[in-house]
Amino acid sequence: MPERPQRIVVVGGGMAAVRLSEHLAGDDRFAVTVLADEASPPYNRILLSAVLEGTHAADALTLRSAEWYAEHGIDLRLGARVLEVDREAREVVLVDGQRVGFDRLVLACGSIPTLPPIRGLVRRDGTLDPRVHAFRSLDDCRRLDEATRMLVEAERGRATRPRAVVVGGGLLGLQVARALAVRGLLTEVVEGADHLLASQVGSGAGAVLARDLRRLGSEVYTGARAVRLTGDGLQLDNGYVLPSDLVVLAAGGRPSTALARRAGLMVRRGVVVDHTLISVTDDRVHAIGDCAEHRRRTTGFVPPAWEQAEVLARVMRGEEATYDGSRSVARLRATGLDVAVLGDPERAEGEVVEVTNPLAGSHRRLVVHGGRIVAAALVGDLSRVGLITQLYDRGTLLGPDEPGQLLLPEAADAPAPLPDEAEVCACAGVTAGEVRACGSVGECVDRTRATTGCGGCADGVRRLVEGSPTPVAVG
Amino acid sequence: MTATQTQTETGTTTQTHCPYCSLQCGMRLAGRRTPEVSAWEEFPVNRGALCRKGWAAAGLYGGRERLTSPLVRDRETGEWSAVSWDDALDRVAAAIRAAQAAGGPDKVAVFGGGGLTNEKAYSLGKFARVALGTSQIDYNGRWCMSSAASAGIRAFGLDRGLPFPLADVEETDVLVLVGSNLVETMPPAARHLDRLRERGGKVVVIDPRRTPTADRADLHLQPVPGTDLALALGVLHLLVAAGAVDTSYLAERTTGWEDVRDSVASWWPERVERVTGIDAHEVRALAAMLAGPRVMVLTARGAEQHSTGSDTVLAWINVALALGMVGQRGAGYGCLTGQGNGQGGREHGQKADQLPGYRRIDDPAARAHVAGVWGVDPDALPGPGRSAYELLDALGTPDGPSALLVLGSNIVVSAPRATHVTSRLEALDLLVVCDVVMSETAALADVVLPVTQWAEETGTMTNLEGRVVLRQRAITPPSGVRSDLEVLAGLAERLGSAASFPTDPEEVFAELGRASAGGPADYSAITYDRIRDEKGVFWGGERLFAESFAHADGRARMYAVEHRGAAEQPCADYPIHLTTGRVLAQYQSGAQTRRVRSLPDDGPFVEMHPLLAGRLGVGQGDAVRVATRRGEMTAPAKVVPTIRPDTVFVPFHWVGANRLTNDALDPASRMPEFKVCAASVVAHA
Repeated sequence: MPERPQRIVVVGGGMAAVRLSEHLAGDDRFAVTVLADEASPPYNRILLSAVLEGTHAADALTLRSAEWYAEHGIDLRLGARVLEVDREAREVVLVDGQRVGFDRLVLACGSIPTLPPIRGLVRRDGTLDPRVHAFRSLDDCRRLDEATRMLVEAERGRATRPRAVVVGGGLLGLQVARALAVRGLLTEVVEGADHLLASQVGSGAGAVLARDLRRLGSEVYTGARAVRLTGDGLQLDNGYVLPSDLVVLAAGGRPSTALARRAGLMVRRGVVVDHTLISVTDDRVHAIGDCAEHRRRTTGFVPPAWEQAEVLARVMRGEEATYDGSRSVARLRATGLDVAVLGDPERAEGEVVEVTNPLAGSHRRLVVHGGRIVAAALVGDLSRVGLITQLYDRGTLLGPDEPGQLLLPEAADAPAPLPDEAEVCACAGVTAGEVRACGSVGECVDRTRATTGCGGCADGVRRLVEGSPTPVAVG
Repeated sequence: MTATQTQTETGTTTQTHCPYCSLQCGMRLAGRRTPEVSAWEEFPVNRGALCRKGWAAAGLYGGRERLTSPLVRDRETGEWSAVSWDDALDRVAAAIRAAQAAGGPDKVAVFGGGGLTNEKAYSLGKFARVALGTSQIDYNGRWCMSSAASAGIRAFGLDRGLPFPLADVEETDVLVLVGSNLVETMPPAARHLDRLRERGGKVVVIDPRRTPTADRADLHLQPVPGTDLALALGVLHLLVAAGAVDTSYLAERTTGWEDVRDSVASWWPERVERVTGIDAHEVRALAAMLAGPRVMVLTARGAEQHSTGSDTVLAWINVALALGMVGQRGAGYGCLTGQGNGQGGREHGQKADQLPGYRRIDDPAARAHVAGVWGVDPDALPGPGRSAYELLDALGTPDGPSALLVLGSNIVVSAPRATHVTSRLEALDLLVVCDVVMSETAALADVVLPVTQWAEETGTMTNLEGRVVLRQRAITPPSGVRSDLEVLAGLAERLGSAASFPTDPEEVFAELGRASAGGPADYSAITYDRIRDEKGVFWGGERLFAESFAHADGRARMYAVEHRGAAEQPCADYPIHLTTGRVLAQYQSGAQTRRVRSLPDDGPFVEMHPLLAGRLGVGQGDAVRVATRRGEMTAPAKVVPTIRPDTVFVPFHWVGANRLTNDALDPASRMPEFKVCAASVVAHA
């Protein structure tokens, strides 16, 4: 007799949760319920800044429609907020009092934005100042998009431009800042650390980024903390007041762990899981994505969340699978700023090969350990980013000269006059000497059949016949 | 003498077509024994242009290696002896009967080729099903364009490589070539690129190597081999994001769009960059070029010869459909078929699951119709058999065939995991090879039957556009050889076949027309005279899909496909991607071109980037050993900056490259993964 399917309850409807659903879809050993607290079907969160910038249609974010879940027998409940996990009864309790039983529980709760300690963010009645925006969800994005649109329209034709301040100079902060600037707002960035992108790159790279932003019209305040929001604007701890019609909080987030904590699961920064993504407290509970802590690390990026989802699906199917930590590649998605961060280029152990050109605004750093690229920061110049990422991801063993060569521009083919023995027409197998021996293009065609195949050498043959000194390329 | 053969003072001039690739360039031949090639300016596909292989085609007749007598090999001594045709055919028929008496009809297998004429391909399929009664027939076209064929049938309900004339390329605004190096593999086709660009059109080439084709492109993207699918998903992602898809076309002419749209939401450019090794800004540049104008996407072997080949083609078809291009003039999707009769060869029944007219062998109505034409009982026809690689893999095993008849294929050179395949051939009780020279495969045979080639015989070919063309006999064959049709008729008679096997090509073509009538590829209205008068005849019409697709509801199907990547990924022991392909002066296994003296035959080489050469301590021309889990080879290094530094390229015209290649198969098309595997590359000590 077939066993009844295992009841899998997933708390959260984000990037990790949808990936897990995809891996479990169509497997009748599982009855999957997804409790998503947002009202929209699961969408691609990392593209929100592109929607704000206007390069990406909002309705193109949907990862899987509600119909897809229904067709694959997955019970997707939108707007379902979980109040409590009753581990004893193996049930989760929703805010509306409903209880959902589980055999296995997957916490994929994501992270929540950090609210920086700025006085005046929250008004006396407990609501946020209307100028203040978080930037985590599609709703946040829509609200900010609408506010931006209204500001731009209201100021149209006037001398002053609307002003925005982004609090936080990390990846998200820079993307939002560029998006708002592209939309026409005068945008400034406040970062508490002494340089931008401080958790990913060193000060040299941060300085290149700050210069780029200024060149694009955005002022950058580093080593500065926003302390107070007043009617005049956002006041920094160095006394500056930045006039602001909009304040976007992008000062990072922390794993969403309140539910796990209340349920008595072990939580440090995130919900602590082992290499099979099982909670160290309860082997019927799993955590994946931003809320999970594995080997004392939480990530905040999509690729590890997806890898965890895949590993967990395999674990659930009874296959041998372990999560060993992912190689991370962080790419800034913002018009006019070029950043790629592979691994942890500031802290990874190894020899550093670095090329910095402040004049051109580029900073490129490879960290090489045992002949392999173990981390990299590429700022302002992304040449060969695809190749460097491949070598990093695959752990390719390089020769001693290669890291340096990878950071140098590719040698241009030096044009040179063709020697007589060089093949000019590959289709007919004709050399430069044979062409030079002809008096005209017509004679050359008749005698050698050059140019009668693909036609690519016609120009070169003409110049050779005419005795033009101009170098020609092999066609 | 026909209207297309003219008598001159020096002799007869015949209009015919090149012996090699799927362009089937028109050419004129003069002379009686060794023909002279001249241009046939009026033929629309090449308008007189030829590459050096075509110009040198007469060299096929210059060599002394031509076989002119049936040969039998003594298994004890390995010695060959010449025997009479009757003796040879009697021996083969007797051995076939013995094998089938011992283990049933499927003990005998047939392996065909994409270079055979339509008449031969048709007769071979009929011979297998009727004279042998075996289901075990497939052909090397399975290794050519089968992924595109499978995808085309699923998406459009019909597979015709190009659903429009090749010259339509000149009319598009943006041409995207995915894994095609047509400047080297079909040079006269490149003239269309130049005319397109003269008009202001743009060309995009997607290839891990900067080939001469890429040199003529406006944008060249160099993906990691095996990641073309991810690139297509990323391009579609950006087109959706930019609102550049044709929603009314999608609503009216397709099904499945919503799933496809949602499936690409997770393929943003930076993720594509990480998978494909193509910088994200280049992915954006490609998508920006495709938003708005007329777009034509053409795939070739680079995209198709993968264990994910058919899904890769579907992903690019989705791009063309989403843009509303398929069916529009000067736009859409097509496959650049490779072999001379790659198109016709897959339509008339030498494929394991097919009957003539591109009918399915498991369709009762198709069986009834074809059996009627053949005059046999439909129930007597066998069902579907093994695909090409699976067939070879089964040879000499307890459940597999013990005898094999090969026409138009040089398996030892062209099969993937060739060392293993060769060992399967050696395990047979009987190997019969019909060929013009002692190819590497013929050298393993028990019986070699010398057959006519190209200008010595008449037959039709269907080129990459679905244009049926006529190759006319221009010269007298050497005495002692017979045509493939005569070989099949001689064997059928000895085997007591219920159906007759005509040997006159025009008669066979008429029968093929009747057998294909009503099928997806219906040749019944095509005659030799029409082909001569019209410079080729398109089956199904010149342009397809303008009004509807071939599915019952008239709509194209869109399938959400996912990137899986190559079956074999680089690892510490095999850290380099290996890809394979062609060079201009050689063709396929080289059995023909390596014997033409005027074509350069410099042997294989290992193309690599200076970064990799530096890592390995290898200089230009130094011997390099390439090894994979399946075999190894040694060849000189060719150090060029035009290839990806993580990839090496080896041409496959010589024994060697395919000892290395992977036999992982595409689940839908059964195409082996010729185009990528993991290799170790070291300086040869």
